[in-house]
Amino acid sequence: MLPPFRLARPKTLDEALDAIGEDQVPYCGGTELLLAMGAGLHRPDVLVDVKRLPELAGIRLDGNDLVIGATERHDRVAEHPLVREHVPMLAAVERAVGNARVRNQGSIGGNLCFAEPKSDVGTALIAFQAVATLVSPGGRRALSVEEFIAGPYYSAKEPDELLVDVRIPLGGPEVRAEYVKYQIMERPTLGVAIAHEPETGACRVVVGAVGEVPAVWTFAAPDEIDADTIASEVDPTPDLTGSERYKRHVTGVYVRRAVDALMSRGS
Amino acid sequence: MAEPRTEFAISVEVNGTTVERTVESRSLLIDFLRSDLALTGTKVSCELQVCGVCTVLVDGRPVSSCTYLTVDADGRSVTTVESLSSGGKLHPLQEAFVDCHALQCGFCTPGFLMMAKGLLDANPGAEREEIVEHLEGNICRCTGYRPIVEAVESVARQQRAEAK
Ligand SMILES: Cc1cc2nc3c(=O)[nH]c(=O)nc-3n(C[C@H](O)[C@H](O)[C@H](O)COP(=O)(O)OP(=O)(O)OC[C@H]3O[C@@H](n4cnc5c(N)ncnc54)[C@H](O)[C@@H]3O)c2cc1C
Ligand code: FES
Ligand code: FES
Repeated sequence: MLPPFRLARPKTLDEALDAIGEDQVPYCGGTELLLAMGAGLHRPDVLVDVKRLPELAGIRLDGNDLVIGATERHDRVAEHPLVREHVPMLAAVERAVGNARVRNQGSIGGNLCFAEPKSDVGTALIAFQAVATLVSPGGRRALSVEEFIAGPYYSAKEPDELLVDVRIPLGGPEVRAEYVKYQIMERPTLGVAIAHEPETGACRVVVGAVGEVPAVWTFAAPDEIDADTIASEVDPTPDLTGSERYKRHVTGVYVRRAVDALMSRGS
Repeated sequence: MAEPRTEFAISVEVNGTTVERTVESRSLLIDFLRSDLALTGTKVSCELQVCGVCTVLVDGRPVSSCTYLTVDADGRSVTTVESLSSGGKLHPLQEAFVDCHALQCGFCTPGFLMMAKGLLDANPGAEREEIVEHLEGNICRCTGYRPIVEAVESVARQQRAEAK
């Protein structure tokens, strides 16, 4: 049984912003929050359901950005035509999150706000240099997803802020991207995302799940990606899925596999 | 409407019947079904969304009822394993589970049945790969999974044939 709490179900953004605070926390799919509450790790006074807020929903193009509302569920993101067309790598990542029930219930925004280290979504979004939009009674601000995922179970949002959406910049020629993951339990042990901009040649390599937060490397071209350097520089968290040494080794292997996948797909 | 409350009057359609109740905000759908409505076909085990025994359909989509607030089902339809058979006649999925020996102790079966129903209602002719992918988040400690996949596949195959 869950500890008692009060629930607010605002219909407008203003009502929601009035309702949230230090001990009045946003609630979306509950796939993380209800577990934390059930385990006695978290005991908020009020849950503020954000699922009825139109500003936090929807997937659309806005200028050069693909905009994904914070409350969009993993299964919706995975299936959405705009996501599949413009960032097929993200669609594939979303299709493989957790299990079918988690994908039906959990949101992309809840995933980022919870900042669980063993995640795929943030790693993929950082490769695309996605930006998070936050709103508070004082106004809006934008923050790169890389900065937003500030620490393990710690995202850079204030208690009076809501995550509105994530924006993936699409301007310029299509970015080529790959994601490979290694998983033996219900969450990933390691995920490697690569995004390659054909015009400049630049590559971003993001390694997630293995350490406390996703780590980023940039290279001037795909054939300059140095898996050994990345493996020596990651900061793995040893746990039941592997020791530090093991996770370093697996990092090297999966970076090489991601590079191979990128190269073998051609441009 | 935005005032935080601990109690909510809800109206949920459960297996085709409208149910009106006042529930606590913290009420979980699994407890609502099992304790308030005495629908004990749905089981509960891990309470972590990992094992899938608690799977029910909400508006046709599978969810873990162990981690789903009852108030979120307000205005929606909930389908549980009890809805499958009618008048002593088993649902084709249940028939297939029997024929393929897809259960031993049977504890995981309600969850697998509801996961499978969710998939086949949306995609009646689902292929094996899709079935395996969809059932990946359910745990069975007895059968080794193969007979379960075969059971679901046999219903999908049948439905593919009928659609022709
Ligand atoms: C069994 C299991 C397997 C999983 N496997 C994977 C996996 O393989 N890969 C992966 O990436 N993830 C995985 N996850 C994590 C999953 O993606 C997240 O649980 C889910 O997306 C969280 O979304 P939610 O809507 O349920 O968040 P909630 O639980 O509702 O909220 C999570 C946190 O975010 C806050 N929050 C939510 N929405 C907002 C908002 N709009 N603004 C501000 N704060 C907000 C809440 O206050 C809370 O602190 C798994 C989870 C489970 C349970
Ligand atoms: S009891 Fe709900 S998933 Fe295990
Ligand atoms: S039949 Fe016993 S757990 Fe599946």
